[in-house]
Amino acid sequence: MGPGHSYKGADGRIKNTKRAAKEFLHSVRPYRWPIIASVILSVGSAVVGLFVPKLLGDMTNIAVASFPELDWGAISGKAITVLILFLTSAALQYAQAFVLAVVSANYTKDLREKIISKIMKLPISYFDRHKFGDTLSRMTNDVDVLTTSMSQEIADVSLSLTVLIGVMIMMLTISVPLSLVAFIVVPLSVVVVGRITAFAQKYFREQQATLGALNSKIEEDYAGQVVIKSNSYEGAATASFDETNAKLAKAATRAQIFSSLSFPVTHVFTNLGYIAICILGGVFVVEGHMTIGSIQAFIQYVSRFNRPITEIASTTATIQALLAASERVFEFLSESEEEPDAEPALVIPRVKGEVEFHNVNFGYDEKTPVIKDFSVKVQPGMKVAIVGPTGAGKTTIINLLMRFYEPTSGYITIDGAPIREMKRADVRQMFGMVLQDTWLFSGSIEENLRYGRQGATLAELKTAAKSSNVEHVIEALPHGYKTVISEDSDNISAGEKQLITIARAMTANPPMMILDEATSNVDTRTEQLIQDSLEKLTGGRTSFVIAHRLSTIRNSDLILVMRDGQIVESGKHKDLLAADGFYAELYNSQFAEN
Amino acid sequence: MFKLMRFLKPYWWQVIILIIATGGQVYATLQLPALMADIINNGIVAGDIPQIWQDGGRMLLLAVVSAAASFVASYFSAKIGAYFSRDLRAAVFQKVLNFNLIDLKTFSTASLITRTTNDVNQVQTVITIILSLLLRAPLFCIFGLIMAIQTAPEMSWIIVVGITAVVISVAVIMSLVGPKFKIFQKLVDRVTLITRENLTGLKVVRAFNNEQVEKKKFIKTNGELTKLLIFVDRILELQNPLINIIFNGLTLLCSWVGISLLTQDFSYLGNMTAFAEYVTYVMMSFLMLSIFFIMIPRANVSAGRINEILKTKEKIHWLSKTKGIPNKQALVEFKKVSFSYPDASEKVLDNISFVARAGETTAFIGSTGSGKSTLINLVPRFYEATSGEVTVNGINVRDYEKDDLMKRIGLVPQRGLLFSGTVAANIKFGAPNAAEEQVKKAAEIAQADGFIRKLSGGYSAHIAQGGTNVSGGQKQRLSIARAICKNPDIFIFDDSFSALDMKTDARLRAALKPITKDAVVLIVAQRISTIKDAEQIIVLDKGKMVGKGTHRELMSGCDVYRSIVKSQLSEEEWRKETHGARA
Repeated sequence: MGPGHSYKGADGRIKNTKRAAKEFLHSVRPYRWPIIASVILSVGSAVVGLFVPKLLGDMTNIAVASFPELDWGAISGKAITVLILFLTSAALQYAQAFVLAVVSANYTKDLREKIISKIMKLPISYFDRHKFGDTLSRMTNDVDVLTTSMSQEIADVSLSLTVLIGVMIMMLTISVPLSLVAFIVVPLSVVVVGRITAFAQKYFREQQATLGALNSKIEEDYAGQVVIKSNSYEGAATASFDETNAKLAKAATRAQIFSSLSFPVTHVFTNLGYIAICILGGVFVVEGHMTIGSIQAFIQYVSRFNRPITEIASTTATIQALLAASERVFEFLSESEEEPDAEPALVIPRVKGEVEFHNVNFGYDEKTPVIKDFSVKVQPGMKVAIVGPTGAGKTTIINLLMRFYEPTSGYITIDGAPIREMKRADVRQMFGMVLQDTWLFSGSIEENLRYGRQGATLAELKTAAKSSNVEHVIEALPHGYKTVISEDSDNISAGEKQLITIARAMTANPPMMILDEATSNVDTRTEQLIQDSLEKLTGGRTSFVIAHRLSTIRNSDLILVMRDGQIVESGKHKDLLAADGFYAELYNSQFAEN
Repeated sequence: MFKLMRFLKPYWWQVIILIIATGGQVYATLQLPALMADIINNGIVAGDIPQIWQDGGRMLLLAVVSAAASFVASYFSAKIGAYFSRDLRAAVFQKVLNFNLIDLKTFSTASLITRTTNDVNQVQTVITIILSLLLRAPLFCIFGLIMAIQTAPEMSWIIVVGITAVVISVAVIMSLVGPKFKIFQKLVDRVTLITRENLTGLKVVRAFNNEQVEKKKFIKTNGELTKLLIFVDRILELQNPLINIIFNGLTLLCSWVGISLLTQDFSYLGNMTAFAEYVTYVMMSFLMLSIFFIMIPRANVSAGRINEILKTKEKIHWLSKTKGIPNKQALVEFKKVSFSYPDASEKVLDNISFVARAGETTAFIGSTGSGKSTLINLVPRFYEATSGEVTVNGINVRDYEKDDLMKRIGLVPQRGLLFSGTVAANIKFGAPNAAEEQVKKAAEIAQADGFIRKLSGGYSAHIAQGGTNVSGGQKQRLSIARAICKNPDIFIFDDSFSALDMKTDARLRAALKPITKDAVVLIVAQRISTIKDAEQIIVLDKGKMVGKGTHRELMSGCDVYRSIVKSQLSEEEWRKETHGARA
């Protein structure tokens, strides 16, 4: 995991290390037995493997001692032991890795499921305060970091510690003075490398920051191509790009130099240790303190001594990354959810469609009230239009009606029953919704239509498509209802997407309808089709329509004119025009020119 | 990937130094085991302590040389890698900046962004790894082999065994796992997609009570992903134990064979140890190379995507100097202009002719796909007419020098595109030398002065990337101000008024009147109210011009126009309109 891969919080710092660690440990608790097993296996594998160099050295010693006869019986005895040992060690290693792989895969799976369930349960208001990208990155990057560093740590730390201790013991049993040389030289390299890495980290952060700046420049310039071209701004754009790009190259060089320095540095120290041991060991053998086989074994141990130290040293960084990720994941999982539905919940057996707002107050945050003392009574079957300038609170009314948000005071009733005392799902089921944002998920058109009602048959979907004027569009597509639409697919236009969302609401066949600015951004002809299908959709149903174009709502039964969170006027189109108030002003600015 | 290697060319001498340094480092490192063998054979066995010290001294010297070479190599590999990607990124950026709208459309902006950012980073990572680690591997491999064979020729077959074992085990594992990686990536993408859809479609999911459906969908894909992951890991985790077995097996083999050779030549006592080390070096390099083969295909995908950009031919060539002298009087003329996308049979614009004069407004209306936007994009030559001529101030747009044409055009695109920087910088975008008053006046006309004053910092207030800290309508007004500030001959409004409320729209157009009295104004619009008073309205339908004239003329003579008007007016107004037309 390079420094560029681990995405941490906004500043990468951990707010509460203790809590993050505690929550992480708590989350792996269900897996404690396989984890312990894997640790034991890993220790076993390391211990078994430790004896290999020693036995190989013994082989040489026997050969030298028995030269020139060569005691093949003893030599092959040792060789077979070595063979058995390293095969066993490898088998244990595989078992350990396997157990851990299953644990981490399942752990990841559970974590992801927890997050998606959480997304479903969080109040909509959570997402006003947090960007989608942030939540998405908790689901992907943070979970990845969490699980990879977890399995890496469990395997590495236990293995490294075992090897480290084991190697030290083996070395000491061979030669105390040589061990001392090794103990001084090798850890020194780890310390130096640690310092260098810390430096590199600093430059890596600088590199990341510059890269981020450059990327946003690229995004902006690419998106604004038309403007850049028509204003002859290419030169200035290139100059500013080159400047940041050069800065990045400098930062990248520095970061890379420091991080790649660790290799030569380690290498120097390893070589120094190696040379010292060769010389000293040689002298010791000549003086009769040691055997040749022991030197061979010792050299091998020294080469195994290096890695665990480096790994343990890098553990801190990995644990930091793990804790940062863990904090972000568990912080998300502990966000407070929507308050549970009322128990027992009110149920309306047959919805008539009478909707009433009783002195409703609401604000997205405490300081700025958006809806102030809002009251209105809507009779069953009425077509209600909500108009007003941007920011007047039109969409908020819909959000409250659908219980995406709850009023801070006052209440809303349907057929006399307060919606707060019903199940959210039941409230939402009463409304069909067509939003301005034509959200369709990637999947076939059929699946998207069925989104309105899961049990709908294909025939029902076709009927809905027909009355939404979108049937011919769908049937003209190469795969008809099976055509897959995706986010950036251009096989259907924005207007056609709109029609499909109408058909989707039509499939649901709800007693009431909500249309939120459904008719903007579409060309006139498609709009006519949309208008026509919306007429059908709202026919006989209580419906709420928000539209910017006043032409589309003239025949509404009730027009609510909103301004700054309050209804300033209400009534029919004719009466409102006659009253010559705010509505008339809005209306005239649209039609009567000059 | 290899096509991109040409970006290394300017740094060729640095690459040579890097190779020499790496070679020196490898060579020096590989001398150490030989010297150690010498210590064993001529020092220890002979009991010659001065020999040991002498060999040790030489080892120390070589270690220092190796370290120095290694430092040099690190420095140059870092530098080359960073500057290679700087140049690559700049080349891609420059290329994209010169793309015309057709290229932008075929690639899509989002994809171009990933190509310039992610893909270049991918390639950079791989290049850095190649330069710092993988350059060493083949050198270690070759030198190691030579040294090994020199040290103990009778044992060289062990290397063949070792290499075969490593290659077979890596190949088997990769062939088992490799094909799964694609499926794996697909599933990962799908998990991300479902999550993202649940976030963007938050309200729809809840409005239709489909939380459980979505969850089921997620759990299914997530389950598949987990299963596959476990399968892949089960095989992948074989790698380390297998490699350990091979390495240990080889060391054992070296000892065994070395010992058996002792009776022939006692110097095998030292040589077998040295040989074992060489074998390890060679094997390690082989493993490194196998990583290379895993990495290259991935980098190749990125490199291919970058190459696609780089090899795209420029479709529009600009003259370095305008041919002829353009008229002072603003004028745009289309003469039998047709346009179709390359390789498409259908014409987007078919035989369009009209003249747009100074002081007049020419408006374009029609349904989506009628070709309105394409038409006005022919004026700044974002697209090239397939046949016919587009002239600006009497001269064919093809005969203009680019900036000479652009300075005459004030374009306001459909979406209010802003750049990070101050409000003033955004307005001055097309006229960098504009005075403060000019900026302010442009903002006033665009009905933007009011809200700008309310921003903290006023005209020096900072606009965030993509203009996310101002509303859609404000963005649009700022981009209109930008065009006004430039004081162009030709104003092009590409559906620029639809983000404004009707009142602001009307006020803005009234304020525009006086400053456009010497300019050509081209407007694409959806609302009839926006274009009703235009001197000339051109009605487009599927690329053909089906009507040209004033509102009044078209009301009586053009069916397409009438149906558009009808859809936007109430019956009463409609009656009034049609009555007025007849009168």
